[in-house]
Formats: sequence, C-alpha cells, structure tokens
Amino acid sequence: MSHFTQPLEYVGRPAQRVDALDKVMGRAKYIADYRVPGMLHARCLRSTLPHARIARLDTTPALRVPGVRAVITSDDFVDHGLYGFPVKDKYMLAYQKVRYVGEAIATVAADTPQAALAGAQAILCELEPLPALFDATRALDPDAPQVGPDRKNGNREHPNLKSDHMLVCKGNAEAELADCPIVLDRRYFTDWQEHAYIEPEGVLAIPTPEGGVVVYAPNQSPFINQNNLAMVLGLPINLVRVIQPTVGGSFGGKDDIIYESSAQAAKLALVTGRPVRMVFSREESLVASYKRDAMHMHIRLGADRDGTLRACWFRGILDSGAYASETPFTAWRASIHAMGAYRYNACDVDVYCVYTNNGYAGAFRGFGNPEVCFAVEQTVDELADMLGMDPIDLRLKNCLRLGDETAHGQKLDESMGLVECINTVRRLSDWDRKRAEYSRQTSTEKRRGIGVAIMYHGMSLGAEGADYAGATISVLPDYSVDLTSGLTDYGTGSRTVFTLIAAEELGVRPDRIRIQRPDTNTAIESGPTVASRTTVLGGNAMRAAARNLRQTLDLAAADLLRCDPQQLIRVGESYVGPDEEAVAWEKIVDHAREMGLILSAHGKWEAPKIVWDHHHGRGTPYMAYVYGAQVAEVEVDLRTGNTQVLHLWAVHDIGKVIFPQGAYGQLYGGITQGLGYALTEQITYRDGYIQETNFESYLIPTSVDVPEITAQFVESSYSYGPYGAKNIAEPSLVPTAPAIANAIAHATGRRVRELPMNLERVLLGHDLQPPASRDAAIRGVWMETRSMPQTPAPAAPRIYA
Amino acid sequence: MWIEMTLNGKPVAVEAPPDISLLDLLRDYLNLTGTKEGCAVGECGACAVIMDGRLVNSCMVLAPQAHGSEVITIEGVHGPDGGPNDLQQNFIEYGAVQCGICIPGMIMAGEALLMHNPNPSRQEIRMGLAGNLCRCTGYQQIVDAIEATAKGRQKG
Repeated sequence: MSHFTQPLEYVGRPAQRVDALDKVMGRAKYIADYRVPGMLHARCLRSTLPHARIARLDTTPALRVPGVRAVITSDDFVDHGLYGFPVKDKYMLAYQKVRYVGEAIATVAADTPQAALAGAQAILCELEPLPALFDATRALDPDAPQVGPDRKNGNREHPNLKSDHMLVCKGNAEAELADCPIVLDRRYFTDWQEHAYIEPEGVLAIPTPEGGVVVYAPNQSPFINQNNLAMVLGLPINLVRVIQPTVGGSFGGKDDIIYESSAQAAKLALVTGRPVRMVFSREESLVASYKRDAMHMHIRLGADRDGTLRACWFRGILDSGAYASETPFTAWRASIHAMGAYRYNACDVDVYCVYTNNGYAGAFRGFGNPEVCFAVEQTVDELADMLGMDPIDLRLKNCLRLGDETAHGQKLDESMGLVECINTVRRLSDWDRKRAEYSRQTSTEKRRGIGVAIMYHGMSLGAEGADYAGATISVLPDYSVDLTSGLTDYGTGSRTVFTLIAAEELGVRPDRIRIQRPDTNTAIESGPTVASRTTVLGGNAMRAAARNLRQTLDLAAADLLRCDPQQLIRVGESYVGPDEEAVAWEKIVDHAREMGLILSAHGKWEAPKIVWDHHHGRGTPYMAYVYGAQVAEVEVDLRTGNTQVLHLWAVHDIGKVIFPQGAYGQLYGGITQGLGYALTEQITYRDGYIQETNFESYLIPTSVDVPEITAQFVESSYSYGPYGAKNIAEPSLVPTAPAIANAIAHATGRRVRELPMNLERVLLGHDLQPPASRDAAIRGVWMETRSMPQTPAPAAPRIYA
Repeated sequence: MWIEMTLNGKPVAVEAPPDISLLDLLRDYLNLTGTKEGCAVGECGACAVIMDGRLVNSCMVLAPQAHGSEVITIEGVHGPDGGPNDLQQNFIEYGAVQCGICIPGMIMAGEALLMHNPNPSRQEIRMGLAGNLCRCTGYQQIVDAIEATAKGRQKG
C-alpha cells in the first residue's frame, strides 16, 4: 500500500509540543534543578588577563580551604586536555598560556558553592602578561603578537591565521567590475553577539562503580561531548555516557563551553568519587562563553544602469577570538552566502578568520550568513536608491530562480520559492503604498521607513562534513512506542517533529509515542545537532525507522488477517483485511510477538553527496537551499536616534511544514534575535575585557521591543526532505537586521553600516567611546555566589496543616 | 532564622540564613525548583513569583522579607485536578513554549496581569510581560495564549 497518495494524518496538522505540559507546570528538570546526594559544587579559576603566560600555578592552598575536596588543572587530562574540531587548539583547562579574559585555568570541587569559590580564590596563580592583539584587521601583520598556536612541520602561514581562505570564484570579477558603469564599494562591520540562552551553562557528572562517568550536559551534540570526554579522561568510550537533560536554550551556544565544563566536572567526579555539579552565574556565562564572531567586510558590487547585477567582489575577516571552535566552518558558510541570492556574471569571494584576544567565537544561529547578509542586502538596496529603482523590483530582477545556476556553479533544479516569498511579503506588508508614502516625509522629529531583505541559506552541513543521522523505534510491553534520535531538541521542537513523523508512518496516535531524552547509551550517533539539519536528517532517519517497524507489523497483520500485505487498509490505528473486520493495533502487536518478530527497528539516512573544490571555490556547497524575504517597518526618532520597529513581515520557503506551531515559533524567535542583533545587542571587548556582563547591559529584546510579526510559509517541496520538508531554525534571523537597516535608511536617508544600529550610530553616524574598563569583566569572573545552604541537603519544610 | 509564610496556599515554616534571596529559599530550602534563576539581578523574570498579589522577581527579595507573606510559585498554579489550568493549557495550545526555561515566570506574569487587568489589550499584555525575557519565542505566541485566556475567563 502506498503512503504517498494518502493524505497526511499528523504531519503538517495542528499538534502540540510533546514536552510543553511539563514545562508549563514547572516540572521540567534543567541542569540547575538536579540534586543528588553527596553532590559537590565546582567552580573555575578564570583568567583576568587577555593574554598571559601561566608563570606559576599552585593549587595546594586551595586544598587547605575547608570543604574543598579536589582541584584540577590541565595536568590532570590526557595531553593536557587538548581538543577542538576542526582545529585542535583549546584545552579543557588552560595550558601554559591564557588567551582571553575568562578562560578557565583550574577547577575546584567543594562541599558548597562558597567553599568552591574560596578554593578557586586561594589558588596561587601568577600570570605574566604577554602582548595582546585586539584588532582583527592587524592580526596578520608581521609584527602582530602571536595568539594562535605555533605552526608545525614547516608551515609558514602566519600563526594568527585561523582558517584557510574560503573562496568562491566565478569568472573574472575584477575585469567585470572594471567594465560595469556602476560600482558600489562599501565596508561593513557586524559586532559580536551573545546567545543569551536564559538558562546559563551547567553540568552534572556522576562517577560509576566501574570507573566511568555519567554526565548530564545541556549540550547540543552529546556524542561529540562523549568522544572528547573519553579522549581527555583516557577512558574507553563505553565508560562515558552523556545524557542531555531539558535544555534552556542554546542557539549554537552550548557546545564547546559545555564540553569543557563536562570534562572538568567529570574529572573531579572521578577524582573525588562523588557527583559534581557546576552551574554558571549569568556573569560567568557572559565572560567565559563563546559568541557570534565579529566580522569586517568589504564588498564591491557592479551593475548595469538598468539594475542588472554583474559582479560581486567580497572580502571578509572574522574576528573569532582566542580559539577556533567552529569558526573556520562559519567562515566557509559566510563565503558561500556572501554574494546573496542573486545571479552574477562574475564573483570573487575570500573570507577567513583570525586569532585575537577578544574572548572567542563559535557557532551561533545563522553561522556567518547573518553577517554577510547585512552587507550584501544593504549594498543591493543602495544600488536601488542610486538607480531610482524600487528595492523589491531590483531584487526581483536579479534574484535566483528555478533553473538558475548559483555563483558557485550549483544548478537550482527544484524546491525554489524565493520569488513567491518576495511577492508575498510585498503584498502582505502593503509595500508599494508605504514605500511611496514614507518617501514624502518632511518631519524633523520622527520618520517612518520600510525596508526589505532577502536571503538563501544552505541546508545542513554541506561541505563541512559527513551528513548522516540515525533513529530507533520500538514497541514497549504496554503498547506504547519508544523513539530515540541521535539529534537533540534544545527547545527547537524536534522531539515533536520526530513524534509526528513516527505517528504518520506507523499509523498510530502521537500520544502513544514517547521520545527518550538524548543519551549516548541508547541513541545512534548522528553527527552534531547544528546547521538546522535536524528535521531533514533526523526526520528522514526517523521515517526510515518507522517504516521498517511498520513493515514488520504489516507482515503480522497480513498473517493474522490471512491476506497479502498489499490488501491491508488502515482505519484509525486498526488494521482491516479483506473480510472488512477492524483489528485493533494491540492485537497485531500481540500477534507479531507470537510470531517471534522483533518489534524494534532502526533507520539511517545519509544526505546526497555534494562536491566542493576548496582551492577553486566551485562546486555544489549544499544539497539544497531555503529561501526567505522579510520586510521591516520602523519609526526613527531623528532627535535621539531611537528606532522602534513597528511591524515585521516574514515569508520563508521551508518546504513542507511538519509541525506548524513549532515552525512559526522558530520564525518568530529567530526574527526577534535578529531584531536584537540589529538594534541593541552589543558585546564590547575593551582591551580584551567584555563590558556587558548581565542583562542590564546586554540588551536582548523584551516583549515591548518586538512588534507583531506577520509570518507565512511557502512550501516548495524538496524531494530529499521528509514529506518535502526543508528547515527553518537559522534562516529565520538571517534577513532581519538588513531589513531593519534598509528601513532605517529609508526613514533617515542615511546608511548605518555597523551592527548594532544603536542610538549614536543612527543619530551621529559614529560611536561614543567610553573609557576602557576592566572592572565589569573581572567582576564577572569573580562574582560572589550568593549564600547557599551549608549542608548539601536542603532542610525539609515543616508544614502546619 | 525561621521564616513563616503561606506558600501555594499552605502555611510553611523553614529555617534559613537571613541573607539569602527568596529564590534561593524556594529552590534550595523548599526544593521548589520550578522557579528558575536566569540572571540573579532582577532583569530576566525567570524567577518571578506572586507575593501578596504582586509579581516580584524572587532573586531581588530577601528571604526574610517574605516572612508573613503569601507567596504563589509555579507549583501553586494548576487546575482543580492538578493538571494545567486554562492559562497553562493555552500556553500549550498556542505554541507559547519552546525551551521552556522562562515559562514558569511567564505563567506567573500572565496570572498577575490577569489578576489586575482581566481584559487586557495585546499591547497591555506586552507591557505586562516586559520584565520577563524569552530568547526563543519572540513573545508572539505567549501574547496569543494570554489573550485567549483573558477572553475565556471573561466568558466565565
């Protein structure tokens, strides 16, 4: 029986998040909510200098502090805890040098948080300052202080060059530009961004009787954590188990920093033989954790007088701080998207990242695309202004369409909904009327503007690495259905997506299905949970697993109903054979067991192979793309520079929508992060010291900063996606900041080429420079923990009836 | 010192140091971990509880200040059968929940708002949530859920 022709019963239909009930009741357990008997509290000693040699590190005074049970340093790990992918350049605790303010140097485990803090402060640590590097544009100067690790084996590259030059090359861009009647030459800068998950980092490690460790870690990718732990602890991998508890937000941010915390807590658990929990304060989180890179961009765009784009030349430098984390991949994704979703005769893109002593950068939703989209979408807008063309008309004239070839040489032969996104957002936002009306304003107090940005975003990892996922499914004795996935849900809704897919394929109600917490003991390794890949990769794997189980149940049903499996039909959950009597699903399960059939299955899915030539910047970087267009309407106060976003419209082509409520939630949430990125979220490293150490200075959007959002999906089916699905998590925030920037330019007549577009940049066109301050960051490193119970177990309340 | 209060409708007495916050009293001494810590400086609202009818950030209230007061936490919000009440059910139905860490505070803010303004406009709902940060949802579905609850309660 063919599933393709039947209407979908659960996929794409209204559904509720599987874990919402526990969350609204306050029952969901996050890492800070875990308490186990005998649990110790861990605390890091962190660097107070941006670049220094560790001249002396004596932990013995800490061990004399009452309540302190153990202290570890890099010496306690195999190979000093060296880890990292794709570049192995970071240590679980600093070894020989520190390279940013907030870098962990030693970790103390103690009976109470206060004792752990006192222990950390008692450590004798002498840091000998080294010349530091804060300007990414000078990082490759011959006399720049060396931040990156020494080069090996005769490699003569500058040690501060962190990644390859990521290239996209089509034709001869220089020659094409020289021939263009109009060339725009512009520079842009995007600032650091903090993920600002409302749950700060934490981890709980429990030693096992056989000498291993179980780690509860709110990381995105438990298998990477498990691998790192086995490596730096010197344990066989089967003695390391990583379980993901409920995660309070991540957005790319809970990988490396959680791996480090996991290694520290796990080592302390092994040393002390007791469970060890470490939970960050907000200040510690902001100082220690990685950020979205800051990016310096230079773009030249060439066009004909009729608005036909001809050439794009782009140079980008990512200031990605003291360690690589995933930023070489970020640079690559930035390079692929740098020219925007347009056709060109010629393209020349070169993006790379460098070491500095400004904190460190890693993965963050969008992964390079929000940065480059801010540059290219403003430049395209400016071109429209110069030519007196409507910005949407100019985009429609040049944007990628079905059958086009991208600048990389990839033919777009299916699932291409960009034009429909643009046309729909134009209609929904009443673009033409507002654009004309706001162009005639004369007020010197407040003016409105409306701006647009479009984008495309490559699906999943692309040329970053092997792209596969696995899932398992089984029927339990109580007839419930149990799922596992190697890809995780840190708030995204993927547990619900998997549940709906399993229900659809198996033909059972979603409320019969339970999905386990991600656990390296039970799930199948599926690569990292990143790059908006979970719905397509994990969804296809879950679909395959459910189909395998369905095949087994169909055989049992055919046997019981004495017919061919092709003759079976389903009415609700029941099976019906030729005699037209409905047999309950439970009866089929019982019969399958009597037949000796095993009611569990697994499924694997591998993405179609892609080819990318790094040396020549040509190929097929991603299996396919998602597309979107957003319009922002703003009101700018010309006296203060304050920008209020009045409304946002977003139309995105994400293929088939599997879990509508979740997809809309992702879109609203991504747009909101994009709004913060655009206007208020600013991380300032002054001489390496972060200035924003809590939410009173790092300003993420509140409910009154975010306007009503009108969102719609274009569902252009993708043949490799489950039911035609693509993805939404990252693309949602990519075009928001440039749409707002273009609206500000429409309102004020002035371009703001730096993010965030704060009051002074909008009003004055430049920053106000407060004096440098080390204090905020140091306070963050050493924030006193508030009083906590002196006894680990809380006193039982007396309740008087 | 001994701190006595009415907590989720029941009298409670607990011995705790005088210099801790109400948040720590709830989480570490009364084992009520539904109330979350997001910033500990009164900026994010993850620790919001209702104290004597007012929404407060429990990280900003010294535990002794709660002595003699009536405190409602997320554990005290539920329907008659112990399941979700109408506001909680609407949070589920309108997709107001993603990672969920801010949600206990959001539910408390929603209840406090509806206590004082049973028929709020969407803008008034947004004002009522302005002290509660959410990084996942963009607030829209949270506003939807509270709006629907207000309408439902108006109908009785």
